[in-house]
Amino acid sequence: MKKQVMAMLLAGGVGTRLNILARHRAKPALPFAGVFRIIDFTLSNIANSGIDAVGILTQYKPLSLMDHIDKGRPWDLYGRTRLVEILPPKTGEASSDWYRGTSDAVYQNLNFVAEVDPSWVLIVSGDHIYNMDYQPLLDFHRQSGAAATICLIPVPEEQTHHFGIAVLDGDKRIVDWEEKPRHPRSDLASMGVYVFDREALGYYLARAARSGGFDFAKDVIPAMLRQERVCGYRFDGYWRDVGTVDAYWEANMDVLNDRVDPSLSTWNVRTNLTAIGEVGDQPAAKVGSRASVVNAMISRGCVIQGTVRNSILSPGVVVERGAVVEDSVVFHDAVIQERATVARAIIDKKSVLGAGVIIGAGPATPNEKYPSHLSTGITLVGKGVTVPPGLRVGQNCILSSSDALAFTKARVVPSGSTI
Amino acid sequence: MDRVLGLVLAGGRVDELQALTEKRPKAALPVFGCYRFIDFALSNLMHAGVRNVGVLSQYRPYSLMRHIGTGEHWDFVGRSRGIRLLPPYRGLHESDWYKGTADAVYQNLSFIDEFKPRDVLIVAADHVYRMDYRPLVKYHRERKADATVSFAMLRSMHSRFGYGVLGSEGKLTKYVEKPETPPSNLVSMTVYLFRTDVLKEALRTNARDATHEFGQDIIPLVMKANRVFGYRFKGYWSYARTVQAYVQTNRDLIRGRIDLKQWQIRTNLLERCVRADRLPAWMADDVRHSVISEGCRISGSVRNSVLSPGVVVEPGARIIDSIVFHDVVVGGGAVVRGAICDKDVRIGREAVISGESDHDQGKKPECATVIIGKGMEIPPGTQIGAGSVLYSSATDVPPDIAPGSVLR
Repeated sequence: MKKQVMAMLLAGGVGTRLNILARHRAKPALPFAGVFRIIDFTLSNIANSGIDAVGILTQYKPLSLMDHIDKGRPWDLYGRTRLVEILPPKTGEASSDWYRGTSDAVYQNLNFVAEVDPSWVLIVSGDHIYNMDYQPLLDFHRQSGAAATICLIPVPEEQTHHFGIAVLDGDKRIVDWEEKPRHPRSDLASMGVYVFDREALGYYLARAARSGGFDFAKDVIPAMLRQERVCGYRFDGYWRDVGTVDAYWEANMDVLNDRVDPSLSTWNVRTNLTAIGEVGDQPAAKVGSRASVVNAMISRGCVIQGTVRNSILSPGVVVERGAVVEDSVVFHDAVIQERATVARAIIDKKSVLGAGVIIGAGPATPNEKYPSHLSTGITLVGKGVTVPPGLRVGQNCILSSSDALAFTKARVVPSGSTI
Repeated sequence: MDRVLGLVLAGGRVDELQALTEKRPKAALPVFGCYRFIDFALSNLMHAGVRNVGVLSQYRPYSLMRHIGTGEHWDFVGRSRGIRLLPPYRGLHESDWYKGTADAVYQNLSFIDEFKPRDVLIVAADHVYRMDYRPLVKYHRERKADATVSFAMLRSMHSRFGYGVLGSEGKLTKYVEKPETPPSNLVSMTVYLFRTDVLKEALRTNARDATHEFGQDIIPLVMKANRVFGYRFKGYWSYARTVQAYVQTNRDLIRGRIDLKQWQIRTNLLERCVRADRLPAWMADDVRHSVISEGCRISGSVRNSVLSPGVVVEPGARIIDSIVFHDVVVGGGAVVRGAICDKDVRIGREAVISGESDHDQGKKPECATVIIGKGMEIPPGTQIGAGSVLYSSATDVPPDIAPGSVLR
């Protein structure tokens, strides 16, 4: 086929830290900003950058992703020589089986890369929110003569311990690499976006695999840094890894309050409007005569009779009379019944909060089972969960089972509980 | 549905809708934010299981062609499913534009023959309703009818409709077009079901006559020698062929007389600029009793109105009792009351449009609604009086437009 460049999109993450939000779906399929899924951002970046051959590496619950991607049609990545290929793990070969890490996933699909036959391979991740034109990055890579180029973003010092941190010389060459440092020598963090010369990629992936290394950041990049010219490309736009509940919630609030720069409406993000059960076939939103909507994003098919403040509602959400939704993210077709009050919550698809339910009451006790996932007051209500009328639910709670809720005699679910 | 071919009459321009149908057929007119009128007929046909549909169109069919596309949005694609647009063509003898609804079907008899249907279901594309056609077909076949006309029951009487009188077992005993005194409250919905051979025979006979309309000519013709029945439809049906009726239909939506979620109307989701990839609507703090589409950004206030995708309402602007189409921008401090703004209209800062509103008692609403044609730029501070119509061809917009003005 011979293309100059192709993209390999890593979409296999399990998303453990997103807790029940990623239990029924792959992390890249998580809804974002009402009508999108997280993977739409990276796929749109690829399409908008004029890259037209994409492999998507999936392995965790890929069905809804496959429907959503629909061979790339929504992004015009469909044609005889324009393609999006879903690449789940294959069995049958000796060592194949499951992908053992990010670089292993690409390594096991080098035959697909060979089919497309590109000069450079762009590696991107399906769980980041950002708007980036990859062409200047590719130009930089070509001119720098590097075997690999790593995209870097400045982060505040207190966050450097979450990232791989690069130290550059005057030629933008990476001279030092620190994985999750406490006392960093630079503020430039890896975005998980890499460009590789194809030959170098093949060579170092094979080498890493032989020595039992399966991860780009831990194995492939450090090995290349020792022997090759690897450069850093600085990106200064808005970029968020939404792999935790807090980061996910905050990125949604950034969009709502127009803290993303430039404004999201200029990003040209595309999504699949026609997949079954997606955002398409819904009439315009209705705002009732006694409704109050204050700084909120309301998608099609919503019916608002109550109050919505500082929140993002996906398509088809119903907020009944007297109900109040505040500082929350509500997914498709959830119903907030009469007089229910929701503060600082993420409500998954098709959940029903019964009349008079209160969510977000009580002290900010961290979640007892998953304190590292939930400690800032956000309560999660799982997909399709029915919360019985009048129940009083605290902060940092996880409600994932309708049955357990129906059988509970208590009228109160204290902060930090998991049900 | 077994051996039923659907034909959609989508030709009409409809003068009474003035600037709104200046450059599009009524069938392509936007309604309820994100739909076009033809979506109702196409969705009804789809839900009833009709597999093949022809769309008869001649007035500026481009917007319709683009909208219908391959038909995939209504699932009219497959080896034995499809939708065809049937514009006029030049034949061997007298090419010719369609001379009426019946002539349009007559000129496409070969299309009907292709499918060998037992019955042909002919429906207009310019009404708002959700109807299951399957009980109609069953009713028609049980009675071994040659033709069945579907009627809606209207409370108010107008001389603009076709009226029917039904006898025993639903036999159509009388049918009159636009009578001065209607003989019943049964109004023809322009939904006809014909046995194919009866239809073909009637169209061939009618071809020699001077006029070629289904209501006026074909129904009376088939009633002479055939078994013609009437079918009563009990749901919501709106004609929306006048500005007043169009406004009323939108009000019915705001007031909850129409449950669009139940209706499951489909539209072309991917058509440029309609809904594709717009963000959810953002509202600052002052929207009530309204229908708001995706991509709207509302910093000002909206009451009792229907907004299509992408409308921007700047701080301090007010929209009251109005219908606003795609991507209109209303500048800060402007007031839009009792108006219909077509796509891409720009209302300058502090402009005041004073059309009809719910509270106007004196005037007939029909002449009070202000209509602003597609893409018009209204300069800041302009005053527009009730009942004015600004066609998009108008080049000069004076600062003070008296009530009832027509600018072309």
